[in-house]
Amino acid sequence: MKRDEIESQILQIFRDQFEIANPGLDQDLREVYEFDSIDAIELLREIEVLLGAKLTREEKKSAMDIRTINQILDYIESIGASRAAQV
Amino acid sequence: MKRRVVITGCSAITPIGHGKKEIVRHLVDGISGVKKLRADDLLSEYIHSGVYGTVSYPIEYAFRRRDRKTMGPVSYYACQVAKEAIEESGLDDAYIRSGRLGVAFGSTHGSPTVQRQIYKSFFSESKSEFSSIGAVDYLKSMVHTTAVNITKMFGITGRVLSSSTACTTSSQSIGFGYEMIKFGIQDAMLCGGADEYDTTTVAVFDSLMACSTAFNDAPHLTPRPFDEQRDGLVVGEGAGALLLEEYESAKKRKANILAEVIGFSCNNNGGDLILPNLDGITETIRLGLKDADVTPDSVDFVSAHATATKMGDIIEAQAIGKVYGTSPVVASLKSYMGHTMGSCGAIETIMTLYMMESGFIAPTLNLNKIDERCKMIHLAVELLESDIRLAAIQNFAFGGVNTCLVLKKFDQ
Repeated sequence: MKRDEIESQILQIFRDQFEIANPGLDQDLREVYEFDSIDAIELLREIEVLLGAKLTREEKKSAMDIRTINQILDYIESIGASRAAQV
Repeated sequence: MKRRVVITGCSAITPIGHGKKEIVRHLVDGISGVKKLRADDLLSEYIHSGVYGTVSYPIEYAFRRRDRKTMGPVSYYACQVAKEAIEESGLDDAYIRSGRLGVAFGSTHGSPTVQRQIYKSFFSESKSEFSSIGAVDYLKSMVHTTAVNITKMFGITGRVLSSSTACTTSSQSIGFGYEMIKFGIQDAMLCGGADEYDTTTVAVFDSLMACSTAFNDAPHLTPRPFDEQRDGLVVGEGAGALLLEEYESAKKRKANILAEVIGFSCNNNGGDLILPNLDGITETIRLGLKDADVTPDSVDFVSAHATATKMGDIIEAQAIGKVYGTSPVVASLKSYMGHTMGSCGAIETIMTLYMMESGFIAPTLNLNKIDERCKMIHLAVELLESDIRLAAIQNFAFGGVNTCLVLKKFDQ
């Protein structure tokens, strides 16, 4: 999946799931939208569905410092790449 | 230390309306809030009882996303009435966050709607490896979800009590909140209870043959407390919240005082978990009056628990007769809305406050012919103009838990 496709799907999840419409790609989601650790856990579940793969506990832990949409996109791309390398 | 405790705010969401105006209108005009049980593709088709005390009108919630995300339906009800009770009390934000205010709020079993979603993920046939319990599902469904969603929404930092004793949940909340203030542990308590629409509760009472089944095609004709034709209770939903406050503090800030809580009792039957117990509830009433330091003949109105079960109403009438004789007017407010479970004590207390303030006593609805075995008490069968000075609110629960609250019209 290309980055702009991932971006589109992530923004849709933010709209539908978290009622956050069109956040800036580098905005701090916690500061601007009160996106907290509980939201992050909910997002990881959505990312699993998006990727069609379960995330490991370590992968989930590494996502906890993510603050922006761009960082989320980087994270998904990196997970996708590491899964592709394993195949 | 024994301090006076007053009520400075209250609000209720009930099958007969949200807020004082609608609730009083239904009580005065004798309009029932009992409707047909909704189909739920789960239990409703197996339940014999086809009626429910339903909140059938829309409620506009203006909650922030950060607050909503940990709330199941039961907490929406709870937080809404809590918000309105706080607003009516006029307590300022500094006081609310100071630690002087605590919360005593509960429900029968948290949010069964959310619990059902959790169970569905366990038993889902899709076997999807991604279907799992949501991060906030427990927070939405846990037994004390109402109390802590209230603390979160308003930044309340005092004590939290979360009674979950079925039908005495919110009468205990009020009683324990009253004692917290009376004995100087907290200066104010936000008290109440809530329960959401839930067919599993109907199924429980239905399986015990305690639910009304004879009026499925005419829901407004049931429940019929104390009536010869009564055939069981009607489960309902709703929420009620009361802001209790230490009198001197309320007076100092010139709060509008709605009434004074002067007594509370809570005991247990010490035996069977279901059957009504004459000795147990007679003692509850006596202890409530003793705590209030009033005589039975000074009580003007008794809000009976009276769910319209065959034996429950008779035993309660006998207990009232033993303690009070025929002096107070007795009514069952459940006749208007069914049994709102964990919220019934708070809702019936609020309805009593409204009647105290408006100068009337609502009769028991559907009481066409009083059961001979309940005739030893003074049951209201028509709307009465009445200056209620003292009122007692009785509630009894599975598990043999009984409560009695005593309210006094406020005077200096």
